[in-house]
Amino acid sequence: MNTFPDNSSEITTALSEKGLGNQPWWVEQWMELINSYRFKKRLERAWSYAREGNVTSIRFEGRRVHARVQGTDEEPYKVKLWLDVLNDEDWSYVLEALTQKARWSAQLLTGIMPSDIERAFAASGKRLFPFKLQEVRSECNCPDKANPCKHISAIYFLMGDRFSEDPFVLFQLRGRTRTKLLTDLAEQRKKILKKIAQDSAEKDDDLTESSAITQTTSSIHSSITNPHLWWSYEASLNADLVVITPALDGDTGLNAAGELPLAENPKFPQANNKFLSHLQQQGQIFAQEAMLKAMSADE
Amino acid sequence: MSLLHATWLPPIRTPTCSGRPALLVWADTWRVATPTGPKITPALHPFTLNPEELSTWLKQKELLPEGIIEATACLTLPSRYIKAPSTKNAYKKQSDELHEEINDFAWTGLPLQAGEPIPKQCEWWPWQVQGLAIEPSAATTWLSKLPLSGNNSDLGEEIRWWSHFQRWSLSLIARGRWIPQVEVSKGEGYPHRARWVPLLNREDDRQKLEEFAARLPLVATCALPWREPTGRRNNRMTRLRPEAMREANPIASCRPRSGRIRVATLLEDLVDAQLRKGFVPNTKDLDPLLTIWQEALGSENGVITLNEEDVERLATASNHWKEGVAGNVAPARTCLELFTPNQGEDLWELRFALQAAADPTLKVQAASVWGAGSQGLQIGEIHVDQPSEVLLEGLGRALTVFEPIARGLENATPENMQLTPAEAFVLVRTAASQLRDVGVGVELPPSLSGGLASRLGLAIKAEILETSRGFTLGESLNWEWELMIGGVHLTLKELERLASKKSPLVNHQGAWIELRPNDLKNAALFCSTTPNLSLDDALRLTATEGDTLMKLPIHRFEAGPRLQGVLEKYHQQKAPDPLPAPEGFNGQLRPYQERGLGWLAFLHRFDQGACLADDMGLGKTIQLLAFLQHLKSEHELKRPVLLIAPTSVLTNWKREANAFTPTLQIFEHYGPKRPSTEKELKKVLKHINLVITSYGLLQRDIELLESINWEGIVIDEAQAIKNPNAKQSQATREIARPDKNNRFRIALTGTPVENRVGELWSLMDFLNPRVLGKEDFFQQRYRLPIERYGDISSLKDLKARVSPFILRRLKTDKTIISDLPEKIELNEWIGLSKEQKSLYNKTVEDTIDLIASSPLGQRQGKVLGLLTRLKQICNHPALALKENIVQEGFINRSVKLQRLEEILEEVIEAGDRALLFTQFAEWGHLLQAYLQQRWLCEVPFLHGSTSKNERQAMVDRFQEDPRGPQLFLLSLKAGGIGLNLTRANHVFHIDRWWNPAVENQATDRAYRIGQTNRVMVHKFITSGSVEEKIDQMIREKSRLAEDIIGSGEDWLSNLGVNQLKNLVALETS
Repeated sequence: MNTFPDNSSEITTALSEKGLGNQPWWVEQWMELINSYRFKKRLERAWSYAREGNVTSIRFEGRRVHARVQGTDEEPYKVKLWLDVLNDEDWSYVLEALTQKARWSAQLLTGIMPSDIERAFAASGKRLFPFKLQEVRSECNCPDKANPCKHISAIYFLMGDRFSEDPFVLFQLRGRTRTKLLTDLAEQRKKILKKIAQDSAEKDDDLTESSAITQTTSSIHSSITNPHLWWSYEASLNADLVVITPALDGDTGLNAAGELPLAENPKFPQANNKFLSHLQQQGQIFAQEAMLKAMSADE
Repeated sequence: MSLLHATWLPPIRTPTCSGRPALLVWADTWRVATPTGPKITPALHPFTLNPEELSTWLKQKELLPEGIIEATACLTLPSRYIKAPSTKNAYKKQSDELHEEINDFAWTGLPLQAGEPIPKQCEWWPWQVQGLAIEPSAATTWLSKLPLSGNNSDLGEEIRWWSHFQRWSLSLIARGRWIPQVEVSKGEGYPHRARWVPLLNREDDRQKLEEFAARLPLVATCALPWREPTGRRNNRMTRLRPEAMREANPIASCRPRSGRIRVATLLEDLVDAQLRKGFVPNTKDLDPLLTIWQEALGSENGVITLNEEDVERLATASNHWKEGVAGNVAPARTCLELFTPNQGEDLWELRFALQAAADPTLKVQAASVWGAGSQGLQIGEIHVDQPSEVLLEGLGRALTVFEPIARGLENATPENMQLTPAEAFVLVRTAASQLRDVGVGVELPPSLSGGLASRLGLAIKAEILETSRGFTLGESLNWEWELMIGGVHLTLKELERLASKKSPLVNHQGAWIELRPNDLKNAALFCSTTPNLSLDDALRLTATEGDTLMKLPIHRFEAGPRLQGVLEKYHQQKAPDPLPAPEGFNGQLRPYQERGLGWLAFLHRFDQGACLADDMGLGKTIQLLAFLQHLKSEHELKRPVLLIAPTSVLTNWKREANAFTPTLQIFEHYGPKRPSTEKELKKVLKHINLVITSYGLLQRDIELLESINWEGIVIDEAQAIKNPNAKQSQATREIARPDKNNRFRIALTGTPVENRVGELWSLMDFLNPRVLGKEDFFQQRYRLPIERYGDISSLKDLKARVSPFILRRLKTDKTIISDLPEKIELNEWIGLSKEQKSLYNKTVEDTIDLIASSPLGQRQGKVLGLLTRLKQICNHPALALKENIVQEGFINRSVKLQRLEEILEEVIEAGDRALLFTQFAEWGHLLQAYLQQRWLCEVPFLHGSTSKNERQAMVDRFQEDPRGPQLFLLSLKAGGIGLNLTRANHVFHIDRWWNPAVENQATDRAYRIGQTNRVMVHKFITSGSVEEKIDQMIREKSRLAEDIIGSGEDWLSNLGVNQLKNLVALETS
């Protein structure tokens, strides 16, 4: 991908060890948006602001981003960012479109942003991602008349990282939190499914048979009918637990989880990695201790 | 006896304290208690040890945990309704007080203890339980040290659940299956917290969660938090204002619920406690957010103090981080089912479904999920509220590891999709296990499911040669074989053809099979060098699953009718053919004894050692004697057989052999006059069939005994050789080595040998040394995994290996019961120790003349005195010498005590209960002290000076206490009448009384209405002593006996000196 031409290598390495190529697609898309901006000098200054830790806070409050950037003034400047919110009617189109493809719901439920999500938004004639940087509305209380000023641009840079913490932030900026979106999706799906259920009930009787198993039976806990269960346990140790073994190389939960999706504080460039490698190292000690404990059982 | 329990206490959070969970250990014990019920607060559990008693007891058992405080919790326990003692007085008082009135109708009862019989109407009530609370990390350390297998009589069964559960947490930690999280406060007053959370995405871990949840003993999680209204830490039971208590602890019971979530939470608590304790933060170069998170991960309570936005940010990010690995614990999961292509088609079908996590066979197809409607979906016993969400989430996860699925998710309600052969192969080979690890079930067609059946193997048909009787292990069998994979046969040619297709999934005769790289090579090698199949191989291949022949697993083994007969008998799938009592056997065999005889003869034919491990009282001696007689009548008893037994039973053997097999010539190699040179011994052994000796003498005379060419070696009470390194054990195994002229080996024991893994090696090394291999191998392969970890698969394998050689029938077996009477009388004939013998003789010598010369009036008393003293000597010299403490070496001084101990060992092992009667109170006291030392348990003794209340308490406890004493000593006079002790199924008459009616009355304490088991009556008779004479009189019902018994003890004074001598003199047999 293209970062802006002047100083590309420096910036990519500073942003992340892996380079931008390994970022989730929505972060890439965000960076592309920034790179399309014409005033490169201003971007460069904004970049060093961001990198040197002048941005003291970024908070997502409802549909707006509130941030503070330490500029030349004593008090940090207050920056606000927001996108055009989709109205309920727009959202109803989006939701309807989203339920048309099981994959979209499936991915959103797993915390993954579908790469073709814009197609669902196209149904409403709107977009999830801003198409041009101009669509990102912003305000800064600095004396600079230009918009975006370097303070705002500094926030742009850091926003990309914040998206990777939680992709649903974008939905939030468009007017739906994750919870709300998932509930709305479920509601929408219910409507569709209800229709399907009715249709198929008319079509054949097969389903009535299978709905026999769907009848709720109020189940009594088995220990009520057999109070011995309050005390009894007759199983022997699960065969897997006889010998406690360590993880194969690189097969721990931390390895599987990968990078910590927490936007890095530019003042502490290696913090995430240090945090992770310390956990890894402690994990090995934990594992050794656990195996020692397991070996000395019942001695 | 007390029983320890453990219950998890959820954290109590107060504004000042974030609260930590704790493990409450408490113990119940047998007590007499008045029924009571909850009033303002739950009633105090009347059977629990108070914290002080509990610590003392735990210390004594070396189980005292660290990090404890005294604690009280409110536990919900199954309880028995019992009407309160009459409260008529309350009516008389005409009290207006409300609670008095309530009292009259209120629920009263007692909590049930583990193991107590469950009453018809069982209720669940809260009880205040006192115990010790262990802080979580100390609790995990404590749990890690508890036994993982076996029955420890001090620990409740649920404690083993805990120790297994803790072991799982260790396994998760060892495998690094955890991730740190940030939890946002659950509401006002709750802090934000940093937590360590286990990752349960892997298939095997999720299965374990289901197992642990399904088997959760509810006592482990039956606590409701118990609050001290003042917020003080409760170190003492304090009396508090009732109103405050009521306010803090409303009376409530906890509802038994599905265990899944609970167990997952418990696991979280255990993992969190351990990692928190071990974590050393290193905050160098970390930004403030990560610094605070890390510090909180290592702090005791995990509290995070940060502003709301930052906490939310951390929580969202950490949750998003975890989501990438594992979803939530849910009762149902998405399942992908793969179906093979239809005939002539290319594409495979993948169907979507929901599956119950607890039982993967319960499935609901996607179509029904989409059509489930608003009331949710029922899968078996579980209810899924939003089935379509669960299905979609699973599909989303599936997509992260198996991309082709995306194609199937293009419409709103997908039910299935098609896969190309290449995609199907990826799914079978690699994606299936990855999918399972992200929590998605995968069902493959049976021929591809990855089990043993899907591998290339053999189908074998075999039969014993027509010319053979099938008696030798090494003999070759007639056999044919075919290659087999995924349930279908194929030839090497076909295999070559399929392999040449270079496609990993191939269709053969309609079945889809997966060929592995080495398949063709292994098959070709087998075809070119087909081995012989011996009877030995057949026995091995049919013993355990998964055995292989030249790297090829055996999928099918078809035995011809004659081989089948041998295999079934060998593996004891079929009862052995009975063999009737041989000619010359003086007695009758019960049907099961005929089968036992048949079994001994069957293994003898194969030259395999046999262990007859029938329950006590089923007649092992008789079966062995019948077997020897059988050999004799078949002319196979050409050389003498050596029988080794504990000294205490030598007398018994001699007597039984004389009675049942009078034609067998017996020689007792025992005593100071025994042959000491090879020449002498050989001379003596001419025409001798059976030589009896003791373990001790075998060891001492091993060189001498080795010089004899034995026909076979028999060991009685085979547990005597359980310790492989003991000298007598080594000597026994040495003399039995089968390579020495085909000696047969038989072991007799009444203990459940197959359950005593540690003792098995030595026994098998005696019987059939090759079966379990060398001792080191055995220790590593079987003993360690089984004894320390309760490894069930090793145990199964071990049992499969040894079971052909062990026959154990129980008194309770249905096939045996019909053959047995309700009451079995067993005479235990015993000898005397050296000390007993000389004391006995000396006493007789010293007294007889004295009596003869004393005036008639004093005679009766003197005679009585003599008889009493002699009976005392038969019991134990210490009794006659009026010693009143049990000194070292106590057991060696009395053969009777040795024998008693051997039998009691079996009784205790079997979990039976026994009454022990003696006529001597002093003996009772000595015996009580000895037995209590020997088994480290309480043995009550009821005798003349026991108070009425104490007697009732002893009887109640013996009858009712679920963990009451197994042994109960009673004096014949005080305990012989009136009592109801039907819980006992053994009665021991340690010494004889003149009158059988008195003995029978005592026996009837156990053998009476209410007795549901067979009763074994053991009578100890010292051979050649006055006890034998008494027994003779009782048995023969001779005129003398009737006279004697009928007229009390008057006859004693009328005995002539010679008669008296006859009665008391020790006969040496």
